[in-house]
Amino acid sequence: MTDLGPDSPAPRRAALPRLSPKLVTGLALITAITLFGVAGPLLLGDPDAINDIGLTSPGGGHVLGTTQMGQDVLAQIAYATRGSLYIGVLVGVMATVLSALFGIVGSYVGGVVDEAFSLFSNVMLVIPGLPLVIVISAFVPPEQRGAWTIAVVLAITGWAGSARVLRAQTLTLRNREYVLAARVAGEPAWRIITVEILPNLLPLLASQFVFSVIAAILSEAGLSFLGLGASNSSTLGTMLYYAQNGFALQRGAWWWFAPPGLIIALFGCGLALVNFSIDEIINPRLRAVPRRIRHPRREPAPVGRPSQDVVVSVRNLSVTYGNTVQAVKDVSLEVRRGEILGLAGESGSGKTTLAYAINRLHRPPAEVTAGSVTFHHRDGGDTDVLALPSGELRAFRWSQMSVVFQGAMNSLNPVMTIRAQLEDVLTTHRPRLSRHDRRARCARALELVGVDPARLRSYPHELSGGMRQRVMIAMAMLLDPQVMIMDEPTSALDVVVQRGILREILRLRDELGFGIVLITHDLPLLLEVSDRIAVMLGGEIVECAAAEEVLARPRHPYTRRLLGSFPSLTGERGAFVRTGEATGGAR
Amino acid sequence: MRYYVRKFGFYLAALWAAVTLNFFIPRMMPGDPVSILMAKLQQRGGSVNPEARRAYELLLGTDTGEPLAKQYLSYLGNMLHGDFGISVSAYPVPVSEVIATSLPWTVVLVGIATVLSVLVGAGLGMVAGWRRGTWLDSLVPATTVLAAVPYFWLALVLVAVFGSALGWFPLIGGYDVDFTPGWNLDFLGSAVHHGILPALTIVISSVGGWLLGLRNMMVSTLSEDYVLTATAKGLPDRRVMIWYAARNAALPSIAGFAISLGFVVAGSIVTEQVFSYPGIGSKLLEAVQNNDYALMQGIFLVTTVAVLGANLVVDLLYSVIDPRTRAGANA
Amino acid sequence: MTTLDVKDLVKDFRIRTGLRGRRLRAVDHVSFTLTPGRTVALVGESGSGKSTIARIIARLERPTAGQVVVQDDDGGRVPDRAYRDHVQMVFQDPFSSLNPFHTVEHHLIRPLLLHGRARTGAEARKKAGDLLERVNLPARDIVHRRPHELSGGQRQRVAIARALAPGAKVVVADEPVSMLDVSIRLGVLNLLARLQREENLAVLYITHDLATARHFSDDILVLYRGRVVERGPADEVILAPRHPYTRLLAAASPDPEARGRSFDIDAAAVVAAGEAPAYDHRIQS
Repeated sequence: MTDLGPDSPAPRRAALPRLSPKLVTGLALITAITLFGVAGPLLLGDPDAINDIGLTSPGGGHVLGTTQMGQDVLAQIAYATRGSLYIGVLVGVMATVLSALFGIVGSYVGGVVDEAFSLFSNVMLVIPGLPLVIVISAFVPPEQRGAWTIAVVLAITGWAGSARVLRAQTLTLRNREYVLAARVAGEPAWRIITVEILPNLLPLLASQFVFSVIAAILSEAGLSFLGLGASNSSTLGTMLYYAQNGFALQRGAWWWFAPPGLIIALFGCGLALVNFSIDEIINPRLRAVPRRIRHPRREPAPVGRPSQDVVVSVRNLSVTYGNTVQAVKDVSLEVRRGEILGLAGESGSGKTTLAYAINRLHRPPAEVTAGSVTFHHRDGGDTDVLALPSGELRAFRWSQMSVVFQGAMNSLNPVMTIRAQLEDVLTTHRPRLSRHDRRARCARALELVGVDPARLRSYPHELSGGMRQRVMIAMAMLLDPQVMIMDEPTSALDVVVQRGILREILRLRDELGFGIVLITHDLPLLLEVSDRIAVMLGGEIVECAAAEEVLARPRHPYTRRLLGSFPSLTGERGAFVRTGEATGGAR
Repeated sequence: MRYYVRKFGFYLAALWAAVTLNFFIPRMMPGDPVSILMAKLQQRGGSVNPEARRAYELLLGTDTGEPLAKQYLSYLGNMLHGDFGISVSAYPVPVSEVIATSLPWTVVLVGIATVLSVLVGAGLGMVAGWRRGTWLDSLVPATTVLAAVPYFWLALVLVAVFGSALGWFPLIGGYDVDFTPGWNLDFLGSAVHHGILPALTIVISSVGGWLLGLRNMMVSTLSEDYVLTATAKGLPDRRVMIWYAARNAALPSIAGFAISLGFVVAGSIVTEQVFSYPGIGSKLLEAVQNNDYALMQGIFLVTTVAVLGANLVVDLLYSVIDPRTRAGANA
Repeated sequence: MTTLDVKDLVKDFRIRTGLRGRRLRAVDHVSFTLTPGRTVALVGESGSGKSTIARIIARLERPTAGQVVVQDDDGGRVPDRAYRDHVQMVFQDPFSSLNPFHTVEHHLIRPLLLHGRARTGAEARKKAGDLLERVNLPARDIVHRRPHELSGGQRQRVAIARALAPGAKVVVADEPVSMLDVSIRLGVLNLLARLQREENLAVLYITHDLATARHFSDDILVLYRGRVVERGPADEVILAPRHPYTRLLAAASPDPEARGRSFDIDAAAVVAAGEAPAYDHRIQS
């Protein structure tokens, strides 16, 4: 029922990153450096050939100059790049395999195995890696310290972070219904892990692999720079070690020590850029949003009030997503004082977008392209909401129009107490209120919705779903607003709890006289509690009439279809039930 | 309560694992470190009394025929007393004393650099995530280059530019040897002056991780309902950004502190080497070059304890920031 | 004739509070029988234990006590390794019950091959096409699509086809339509009803919605905190509820005809209602 908007996942096609400038730059850097490392040694001659020209600056026969022994720096870099890449990839592969073993297998099997694997990974994670590597390398005699030894040591000390990430992700995947369905179908465990779970972890594995390669190249460079690297191979780190010991820095031989570091940095940067693209697959929210479109400030042009009891007039409102999808099309609507206006529709009908746009809560790429929203104050005066400057908009929000969102579970900040979140409203909108009065008002608001004021000290996770939604309603009426927008306020709750909350809403409405825009897909509920009902389909209001009218004489075919979708609890068993597929059908 | 018990238990287990690792590494490696050590010691004119030899044997393992379990127990006893043996490179100073003089340098350097890096990185990341789609987005690729630069190379470049070329900062050392270490202004001023470049190296290299982590989490957090609710409440932007979005967005970064700290400690060891900084990293390398295995192992253990301690503090902090952990959910 | 007997099922969960553990009884001595051609509805609110029962029947969870016995055509007990040939499940969330990485075909071919309904890949592909036609999906159009290219209703149809693929005669449908848009719910329920008639399936329909439970099932069991508080033929339970908790549920359901009625329900009444002794229409009426 949620409007997922543009971030509904689209794997497989999305398993390949989009070609963004970042990705292209990253791939270009990686390819260029890899080619240099692979082909360079074949073309550039012997890196160890000693020349009697000593330390020479770039130019002449040596593009990047020579070392103090007259060796060609460019040829050395080519060999060193190859050595570094070799170790980087080696460690990347080994660390990824280890992390997959401990992270994925452990968490799928669960129980004691998971506990043990997880404890082991966490211990390996908190023990500082490089000191351990240094100690291990120091115990291995130099003649036995080959590239493989170094790679194994780096892999053993470097897999734990990835294992933790993979474990967390696998834990969520193993309870996905498609994994459960595979178990019910009788798939063996190894097949569930490799065929059902692993493919969905690919982006994450790729990003962890890239990360371990960067980390390995950097660690190896550090180790070699300290003189503890592989004794039989030349890497960018060993090159820097010789440069440092040859006093390259002191002698101003920048061509000797600058390029190796630069190559590491550029390669790492290339990998990191690729990782960005992978991250955007894992978390689609990270994809760049189009820039905020700035519109010229509108002159306020409030619509005159049609009649005394109207509190909000919406005229010809259109909202589009990124100039392509029209979510709300030319909608006109009035909310009257003290009434419950039901907004019915299914997912994608634009009902939530419409409600948000009334309070200007829509976010880019959503944009109001036409129409107006006018607020009519109870003591006279009209406000063109869409033209309010930001400071006045903030003052307008909540004090005139408050909102209760659909996620009963997520509307409250999990790390703040209930009191802090209630008081936030008062300190912002009623700054002169004394601390004592503020507390008293918050306590009274909770009492009004039937929640014990002792709960002020609680955190959201300590309350039940129904209680949280009551707190939200208390918060929404804290400033005595004239309109409340409620987006599926009870949909996530059980019917009995739902009843209790609806009772509070109706009672408060009678006492305080605010108008309510009640958005829900639950038509029977609207028919029972609201005064008027607007039915939305494809961004348009296809029918708007008094509730009794909608029930007795629905005019639009879609309204009739919606009504027919709810079998009556106590009425006749309709002809449509259990006879095959007379209604509905695949969409 | 349960959370705290779990955490303490975990760090005890990690400590035990590190100590045990320390016991087995020399025993699993090829070569006979004790003989090498003894030879070194004799070169330096040190007398090899049986007691010292015994300490080394426990630490490094050698073929004495004593059962492994017994060796292990005696070794644990020595560790409990802080008895790491005698340093060869600084003979006849005990390892614990060598560590005691160099540890404060590193703790202060790494501590200050980490705090700065967290504040700057998390601060920028918060704003970059909040104002997505503005020029701040370009900060992200820029910092990845910095994060991919090897620590020591960055240190070399900084020294070349600010030390050699511009002469603003001293090239090496932790303080001017003209001053006596202690609580006097001359010395402290000199120490700060010497510490700026090493600290800058660590901050520049590690700031990117914090920035990226917080920025990405900000972007995710901004689409949470409670942020939308806060906006609908008409709260000032700053309040929504810090109290509603950033406080929640920072949680994974804090939970991942162990990984970041590991990188910083690794980086600081190499950085100290470049600056010949009188900290524990330089001592570790000195020990490696002199085959001073006792000192090496002592330093590894002390570093581990320090890192575990820092992580424990962060975990406790986490439980203050996130009330849900205190409720006893799985930590 | 495959029947499934749930006998005296009990499930306890350990909950960690503070340093000590606490037991929560999620399912409390529940028994019922699923017989071919009939639908039993399990009605309850969240936390009533209805999904736990479904998971136990699907063997995703082990019961603390009691057992689930399946008997095949000859009245013999189905052995464990053949259990899944007979019992299958349709999950609640069509957006997560299909693997986003795999095609529609993969989801059908695997169970066909696993349960020996097809021997070769070609045979499995043909049967997968037939299955899709049976759930009113255009096979040729969608076999090679991935879940994200289908609507919620289409996905749930694929999930139903997957449950039928092993040739199962007992189907557990755990809230099969609660995540779908309202206008397509009845279509999916009707599809299930038609398949049930054609295949003579035994169906367990789990829902929180009294109205569809009444119209789409023969018998209803009302669950409250793991206990069956009322059971009987669908119309009797809904039209003449005897247990106070069932009455409460019925009263709380939205009713367009009852505008302006009072909403008085308080928490104490709910608890009190749950404590009342169970009512069985088959015995007590």
